[in-house]
Amino acid sequence: MNPVPGVTPAGRLPVRLGSIRTRLTLLYSILLFGLAAVMVGGIYLSLSRALSGEPMSRDARHAVLSGEGVTMSERALTTQVLASFEEEVNRRALDQLRTYLFLALAALLVSSLGVGWYVAGLVLRPIGRISLVAREISATDLSQRIELGGPSDELRDLADTFDDMLARLDGAFENQRRFVQEASHELRNPLAVMRTNLEVVMADPDSDPGDFRAAGEVASRAAVRMSALVDDLLLYVHHQRSDVRREEVDVAAVVGETVEDFVAAAAAVGVSLESDAVVPLTVLGDPAALRRALANLLSNAVRVSDPGGSVRVNAGHDSEMVWVSVTDDGQGLSVEDQARVFDRFWRGDRASAREAGRSGLGLAIVRRIAEGHGGRATVRSTITVGSTFTIWLPRLVGV
Amino acid sequence: MRILVVDDEPDLVEAVARGLRREGYAVDTALDGDDALAKASWTPYDLVCLDISMPGVDGLEVCRALRSNPPEGVAPRVLMLTARDTLDDRVRGLDVGADDYLVKPFAFDELAARVRSLLRRDGGRSGSVLVVGPLVLDTARHKARRGDRLVDLTAKEFALLRYFMSRPGEVISQEELLDHVWDEHADPFTNTVRVTVGTLRRKLSLEAEPSLLETVVGRGYRLLEEAPSS
Repeated sequence: MNPVPGVTPAGRLPVRLGSIRTRLTLLYSILLFGLAAVMVGGIYLSLSRALSGEPMSRDARHAVLSGEGVTMSERALTTQVLASFEEEVNRRALDQLRTYLFLALAALLVSSLGVGWYVAGLVLRPIGRISLVAREISATDLSQRIELGGPSDELRDLADTFDDMLARLDGAFENQRRFVQEASHELRNPLAVMRTNLEVVMADPDSDPGDFRAAGEVASRAAVRMSALVDDLLLYVHHQRSDVRREEVDVAAVVGETVEDFVAAAAAVGVSLESDAVVPLTVLGDPAALRRALANLLSNAVRVSDPGGSVRVNAGHDSEMVWVSVTDDGQGLSVEDQARVFDRFWRGDRASAREAGRSGLGLAIVRRIAEGHGGRATVRSTITVGSTFTIWLPRLVGV
Repeated sequence: MRILVVDDEPDLVEAVARGLRREGYAVDTALDGDDALAKASWTPYDLVCLDISMPGVDGLEVCRALRSNPPEGVAPRVLMLTARDTLDDRVRGLDVGADDYLVKPFAFDELAARVRSLLRRDGGRSGSVLVVGPLVLDTARHKARRGDRLVDLTAKEFALLRYFMSRPGEVISQEELLDHVWDEHADPFTNTVRVTVGTLRRKLSLEAEPSLLETVVGRGYRLLEEAPSS
């Protein structure tokens, strides 16, 4: 049902008067015709006025009348003949001119319609191309581009802008697709554990209640891991860049509350937790998200610390940014690992990570939250000495 | 038939190993690539079930190493077990020399069927039923017959008979049987091989039936391709 503008099926001209091409053609044609008609009319009128004044034959008459032997009646007759002759000549010339002018105007009208149609088509062709590509693009295939060549004019600008937008969308979709794929891979591992354990124990007629119990325990562990993973997946998706709530948050207060929440858990594994008192540090953001980010850093730091180790939380600011850092005295990270530590589903040591029920999303969530607030997350680490993770947030100045 | 199961997920490795042992295979396990390569360097595995994504040396590297530098000259067959299922992943897995590819989570029955298929000497062309002389072994249903008589076998005896039937007429040493039919928990100094071969021989040949399993003194055992005319 969608008529395709600019692309007509075999030999049929589009009849829609509403199309830009038609309107451009008519506008062009009418303007041109009007201008031509005014000019031509003006020329005609001034010409006819010039001819209707004193007859040009006066000098001739004078010459005739000044001759010898010309009678009065002859003179009158000659004058009359000459005048009417001249009038006749003028009238015919003007008639002829009028006819030619009308013909010329008619020809101009027709040809301006044709030329206008053609030129409008030429100008609008890129738009046809743009809408054709836009129509062919589906949500699953954003790989198409308009790639409009030619001089850099307004339409080329439009097409390039469109292409840029497509590239950004394509990137976002690709990222989303990869995320879904990675997430499903991560979910498959605990699923495989459950399925294989249950199938093997059920298929074996010699399985005793102890075997069933063991398989049940394995399946339950896998289920706990899956739900932790699903929770983190939802958190990760929730903290999209655009979702950030904006209110004034005192980072010092966030640090105080979060550290308080962790003191008991850290003490339980023999890790001491220290934080220095800090002046109020105000940023614009979502307090719950910032608490979550700091909590993830703290649980990470407590986990990598050996019993007897300590974790320090500091906060401060420079002229533009507010920072919160969490320092552990664990094993540290290699330079290679530092580059990947914020990647989603990256785990330093996967086997132990799984036993602890970690999703590999904790630090990825931290990075998302920091970037969502217009800041960033960084790490500095020395092998065997420990690591410092820092969240940087734009400082709210003037409050 | 001896199998190595490699995955960084201990709960999965144990379950797969248990299921495969139940199918009558000797199964060892490894939790990472280094461990897998070490074990493969001193045991001539018939098949390795290999997870691709592992910390350290990953499954693709293990597979490549097994292919390029096989212990005792014969590369084991490789069945990739992995959560990654894109076309690229499959192609990469098969390109480094994997024989088959199974995506997690899999049905254990499918894993067992693929293992059976990969372990047939001709790569699975012959079907799941082995026939040597009067002996018929259905490896899928775990049924052994001599002529019309059903022979009741334990898992270990079944595994032993399957190994003999995969190489009829060849003399197979005790050490080889220990390598391929028993797993890493077997004590190499016991006479478990001799005892199991003895009970298998008795079960295959009741009173009047001529014996099919022959002892070649000082060298090992041999499964006769034809029942000797008594």
